[in-house]
Amino acid sequence: MKFQIEDVTVYFPYENIYPEQYSYMIELKRALDAKGHCLLEMPTGTGKTIALLSLITSYSLSKPSNPVKLLYCTRTVHEMEKTLAELKLLHNYQVKHLGPSARILALGLSSRKNLCVNPAVVSAENRDSVDAACRKLTASWVRALAAEDPRVPTCEFFENYEKAASDAVLPPGVYTLQDLRTFGKEKGWCPYFLARHMVQFANVVVYSYQYLLDPKVAGIISKEMQRESVVVFDEAHNIDNVCIEALSVRVRSQTLEGATRNLNKMSQEIERLKATDAGRLRAEYNRLVEGLAQRGNLPISDTWFANPTLPADILKEAVPGNIRRAEHFLSVLRRLVQYFKGRLQTENVEKEGPVTFVASINAQVGIDQKMLKFCYDRLYSLMLTLEITDTEEFMHIQTICDLATLVGTYTRGFSIIIEPFDERMPHIPDPVLQLCCHDASLAIKPVFERFQSVVITSGTLSPIDLYPRLLNFNPVVSRSFTMSLTRDCICPMVLTRGSDQLPVSTKYDLRSDPGVEKNYGKLLLEMVSVVPDGVVCFFVSYSYMDGIVNSWHESGILKEIMQHKLVFIETQDVVETTLALDNYRRACDCGRGAVFFSVARGKVAEGIDFDRHYGRLVIMFGVPFQYTLSRILLARLEYLRETFQIKEGDFLTFDALRQAAQCVGRVIRSKADYGMMIFADKRYSRHDKRSKLPSWILSHLRDAHLNLSTDMAVHIAREFLRRMAQPYDKTGAMGKRTLLSQEDLEKMSNGVSDMLF
Amino acid sequence: MLISKKYNKNRKNYSCPAFSFDLTLSSASPLQLKLQTNTETALYFFYKNTRSYFPLSLITRMISSLFNIFLNYITRSVEKDFRFCNYQLTCIFVNGKKSISTANSDSELQRLHQQFVAGGKLLDQNDGRMPKQRVALKNEMWTVKPLSDGQSNRVTFNLSPEIIYQIFAEKPAVRQAYLNFVPNKITEKEFWTKYSRAEYLHSTRNVVAAAAEAAEDEELSVFLKQDELLANEARRKIRRVDPTVDIDADEGDDYTHLLDHGLSRGHTKDVLDPIYEPYRRSFSQNLNQHAAVVLQGRLVDVELGDTRSVAEALAKPKQAELANEISNNSKGNLEKGLSDRISRMIEIEDLQGPRDPSVAPLSVKDPRDYFDSHQGDALNAFGDAGSGVKPLKISVYSGEAYDSLRELVSEVRVKGLSKPVMNPEVAFQVLNVLIQNISSTKHSLGKSPHDSVLDTLPKVPKDELLHHWTSIQELLKHFWSSYPITEKYLYEKVTRLKDAMSQVYPKLQEIKESVQSDFRHQVSLLVQPMLQALDAAFAYYDADVQKRSTKIQWSCVD
Repeated sequence: MKFQIEDVTVYFPYENIYPEQYSYMIELKRALDAKGHCLLEMPTGTGKTIALLSLITSYSLSKPSNPVKLLYCTRTVHEMEKTLAELKLLHNYQVKHLGPSARILALGLSSRKNLCVNPAVVSAENRDSVDAACRKLTASWVRALAAEDPRVPTCEFFENYEKAASDAVLPPGVYTLQDLRTFGKEKGWCPYFLARHMVQFANVVVYSYQYLLDPKVAGIISKEMQRESVVVFDEAHNIDNVCIEALSVRVRSQTLEGATRNLNKMSQEIERLKATDAGRLRAEYNRLVEGLAQRGNLPISDTWFANPTLPADILKEAVPGNIRRAEHFLSVLRRLVQYFKGRLQTENVEKEGPVTFVASINAQVGIDQKMLKFCYDRLYSLMLTLEITDTEEFMHIQTICDLATLVGTYTRGFSIIIEPFDERMPHIPDPVLQLCCHDASLAIKPVFERFQSVVITSGTLSPIDLYPRLLNFNPVVSRSFTMSLTRDCICPMVLTRGSDQLPVSTKYDLRSDPGVEKNYGKLLLEMVSVVPDGVVCFFVSYSYMDGIVNSWHESGILKEIMQHKLVFIETQDVVETTLALDNYRRACDCGRGAVFFSVARGKVAEGIDFDRHYGRLVIMFGVPFQYTLSRILLARLEYLRETFQIKEGDFLTFDALRQAAQCVGRVIRSKADYGMMIFADKRYSRHDKRSKLPSWILSHLRDAHLNLSTDMAVHIAREFLRRMAQPYDKTGAMGKRTLLSQEDLEKMSNGVSDMLF
Repeated sequence: MLISKKYNKNRKNYSCPAFSFDLTLSSASPLQLKLQTNTETALYFFYKNTRSYFPLSLITRMISSLFNIFLNYITRSVEKDFRFCNYQLTCIFVNGKKSISTANSDSELQRLHQQFVAGGKLLDQNDGRMPKQRVALKNEMWTVKPLSDGQSNRVTFNLSPEIIYQIFAEKPAVRQAYLNFVPNKITEKEFWTKYSRAEYLHSTRNVVAAAAEAAEDEELSVFLKQDELLANEARRKIRRVDPTVDIDADEGDDYTHLLDHGLSRGHTKDVLDPIYEPYRRSFSQNLNQHAAVVLQGRLVDVELGDTRSVAEALAKPKQAELANEISNNSKGNLEKGLSDRISRMIEIEDLQGPRDPSVAPLSVKDPRDYFDSHQGDALNAFGDAGSGVKPLKISVYSGEAYDSLRELVSEVRVKGLSKPVMNPEVAFQVLNVLIQNISSTKHSLGKSPHDSVLDTLPKVPKDELLHHWTSIQELLKHFWSSYPITEKYLYEKVTRLKDAMSQVYPKLQEIKESVQSDFRHQVSLLVQPMLQALDAAFAYYDADVQKRSTKIQWSCVD
């Protein structure tokens, strides 16, 4: 269908549209017109992605003289693939209606690991990481060597790509990672470098958050993007955490050992070079004297991670004299590593600010703030001079320099925390030195400044006024949409008591109570016997999940559950979890039915959809609070209180509830879909906790469902499933329109306005 | 005339041996009937020395005996899946019938035959691509539990062939160890004792103790270490998972997999001394592996009991899979399949307009189905009044069937074959009778065509009844599929359907009146369910109309 929103003709690849999608587009357009940032919360299952893509591409089509570019950020690769698949659908539709003039170039961008097609690099026999293996074949010095000596292996895909030079372009179209690989194989061009190159010319780029937020990655990939771009952060409820992560570094004793090895190797290399090719070192020195930390135009295959600090904070100065010589620089690094080793030997938890930390480094090993600040660039230059290809191996020393540069640059918003062991396992010494960023606005600031519109959107952004404070920006539009439902296709419940009427909770004092474990087990057992197809369970942490699953196994409850469904479980091993998920889907597809055990804040909760028969019920066992004794968390809470006047308790509850909402929100994908959500903890019945849930869940949470025991919940589930099995009128019969056709929209724009909500 | 039909259907995990029959009846060649399964065994029945022709009745009897033999053969070979086998048999027969009915009008059958059999593209005689049959496994995990009788520290365990199968399937390393060690190095009993010991050690979750014991015992260490084969297989499988669940791909993307990047996320991995690392194993891992194996099911042709052959059989399909995968990969089938799957998944179903609005697929069913399912009631209703025919004995043992066949053949020998030569019309009639027999056995094996009330009726009302039922069924199907009425055209369609259906009533009444009085009762019994079905549709229609008229039309809504 196509319709008009003010001056823009929107092409939407479906026959109908949900009213909230329409309103969403209107708000979005308002933000684009104002060239400002916006914050939009819309429930999952209302086709947020397609509404976004559809409006922004149509907006761009309607302004052919000055089309906006779309940078669409997803959290995960599989979300990237899904987004591109939706875009493909949309693009086909637009081309069908507008002809070839609607053609755009859209592509996904990921790392070498996901794009490489060279069989020698990606084969299982190859023990190197894809990154390192690629550099070994494509680094400029390797290729220079190969030009003289044909026995030196290179990558044919990269060579072909280089040979094709300016002819190596992607024709217009939508390319998923898979399509890029296929295209690359066909043409014999390296898809990774081709994609990196094409990103500048593409109308739509879909990539991961890090490519914009992490200065190390953004500095090499996103630096060429023009200002006339719309940046979208989808599923952005955790965006503050991503920002913080991007500027945090941790150093363990293994890192220090590795760094020492790296330093030894580098000094050997320097010695060798002095004997064989002293000119190279001298050339580097001269360049540094001239004040160029970075070499000018590097070949694309040589680019490394960029400076870990934000672009505005990088000094355009010459590298200080005392680290210009390679051997001097190495000795500085040795002293720094030695200093860190000393700090790690502490027996108490230590916390200090960057300023005192830098002062103490200066006092003890004589490295001043300016030297620290240049560590990363200096290391980078040295590694290029030494022609090091194995990036993985030299990760350790890079981490050290990361930390040094960050700590030398920033004086506020960070703290150094040294812990001799993990609070939860005090008997195992595991010292760690962490540079923690507390201010989420730091990393995202350049994005807000550089691009004309930034859209932050998710199914769970409640309370929506908190995000502008955390990220320190002023949205021109900030709105939360509710869901117009044809029928009550979601059924949230709060379960406070088990089958024996005793309270259930994962609260500290009840956590390991065998009665609670048993009640939780009985709840699941009852539910798997009632609910068809897929059931998903979320637990508050890995250790809690391991514990309770083991106890269910020992008490035989697990065996009984297995009578009804297959059981799969998330583990910390991603390969295993991926295979488990794949099998889980298969089991749901073939009608066998399965249960998936997963962890809130884990990888599965972050981005796997359990829509349709893949999830008819989600049980959230407990409230997923962060580990509150964590020093890092405490430091962040303190910072939030001092800077933003956000109370600790409020933030913790907000954080826990957004995770819980995120977990249960995966269950529904469209209004034709249906699913139940059980919040199994007595604390959810309290108003202060519950009210933090997004409004689209709250509006379906009936008062009668606020304080249930297992037997009542089972009864409600039965009723609900029976009701959902009935046929229904999709257009929304009882007075409220939940599906609009092109005709309806035309009618609305001709007068009757604002009839939606 | 040539009738040839093969059936090759695969239903999820279950499948049944494909089989085919070829029946050649012509004036030029001898009568032959060939029955064949997908295994190498085939049953051939030839009558070579017949220059002349069989009498009609003889052929009918003979072929039904042959079918019985065949049926017995099949059921014996796959007893466990008798139900499926049976299901597929009937499918063949129905298809067989359809082919015959069209064969005399056009050459479609020949074309089909060309396409399916002679072309050799779809159904090869030795169709080796037939997936192996699989049966379900019990979803239960085997654990070693120490029996605390309070007196000794003994641990007892039970192993059944099924459990052994499961262990081998879940733990390729154990399977490999069995093939390597037993019986040359250690006995079977020792092997399982060691295995149980290892399992016990795992259940105590004492990694250090496990490592210590493994250091002393080579065989034991195999069980205690992580399963290398499993890890390899995982690496292989990870490349063909659905990209929408591929968390592994994220690892490479976000750069957070790089060492020491970012903060610890609250859930730390417990740190172990690297020498203990290979002995770490989690219950979760077992749980996932177990569920995967149960989901896959068990190959039916693996004889449980002989441990060695079980182990060997399990090692084999892996290689076949591997080869299969390579050929798939080279064609890019896999990738295409996955991307198709994603594009299907991302579509939002209820935003889609109605697809192909006016056409619902026709499925004209054999109207006999309906009467067969109702005839039981009808028969009970008026006793055995209509059927004066002796019921045919259907379930025969193979021996019995063979005897009867032999008897028949010897009869032919003694009496010789009667002349004159049977004409083609008669031959065709034979087949019709035969096929009718087969199709009516669909619902219960005990029914013969003569038991059917329908067949006792004269031809004209019978045909009419069948015709009406077919049309009513079709009308009703469209009627019910139009609800709920969400579009205008649906409303119009329902109105049209209603009109059409209301015209059926008088026609049925006509049939009832036209038949002789002694059949009238039977006919009305047959017609009644049709009327009931129509009545239900009308009642629903009226209720819906009422509801609609009261419903608020959408206008301006708050």
